[in-house]
Amino acid sequence: MTIEMKPRYEMVNVQLGYVIIEHDVYSSAMRSYFSAEPVPPKEEYREGKQIWKYSGMAQSFRFDIRDAETGEVFKYDEMLGLLYYGCCKKGSDVYGIGELAHDSNISLYVAITYEGPDGKRVKLSADKLRVLNRAFNDRLQTRGKKILILPDIFDLYKEVSYGEIMIDFGLTSLEGES
Amino acid sequence: MKVQEIVDRLELKGATKIFDKDLSGVYISDMVSDIIANAKAGHLLVTVQIHNNVIAAANLVDIAAIVVTQGKLPSDDVIKMAEKAQISILSTTMNRWQVATKLYEAGIR
Repeated sequence: MTIEMKPRYEMVNVQLGYVIIEHDVYSSAMRSYFSAEPVPPKEEYREGKQIWKYSGMAQSFRFDIRDAETGEVFKYDEMLGLLYYGCCKKGSDVYGIGELAHDSNISLYVAITYEGPDGKRVKLSADKLRVLNRAFNDRLQTRGKKILILPDIFDLYKEVSYGEIMIDFGLTSLEGES
Repeated sequence: MKVQEIVDRLELKGATKIFDKDLSGVYISDMVSDIIANAKAGHLLVTVQIHNNVIAAANLVDIAAIVVTQGKLPSDDVIKMAEKAQISILSTTMNRWQVATKLYEAGIR
């Protein structure tokens, strides 16, 4: 008889929605946010001196993680998505570190967050990052396999496109592909 | 059930090496976010997607193998990434529904 261990951390309050990408028509600054609206908002709007115009979107989801032992719920509203090292440029720092980790059976991911009101990326707290790592590692079955999710210490958000992050970008064009 | 048994029963073609893994169930999805949220370790993922982010998501949740439907074939880069993650990519000309019914007939629930 096998006894299935219930993981301590589980993904809860999963909410499907869209990552909306927009740009300021004057400065061309870009930012993104999560929308759970049934129809993704595409209207242009004014915010102070800036006018934000819709640039694109990707289907995505938002989630919390619940600690079954304490009942505490950790919210991850600031997380845009995860980036796998193998999807990064060969020769980049993250790719090199990812390869080193891979030799030890560790799969490296980087947590990319949304921009805050000041335009800077919101940081994931150390506690939340630890819980996120525990939650994904709890789900693994392959013996010896590990997941390591790092904060964006590489400033990858500056160089990667939204299509490289693990969100469903361009899915609506799928049927047109050969 | 092992991945190789499914390859044999459904007459799937291996786009990668076939890795000797046990299957615990099936998940059918074309969305990376859905795979991350809902697929389970050991699942066989049935999808039409051949983007490298599908491999990234499959690796994150410990998917055992991927069946790519409708005759789609992943690029060499995606194949290399999957092999590195020890995830078999299996190809078929069947659509997702046909694969689902064959898997049910094969006893996978």
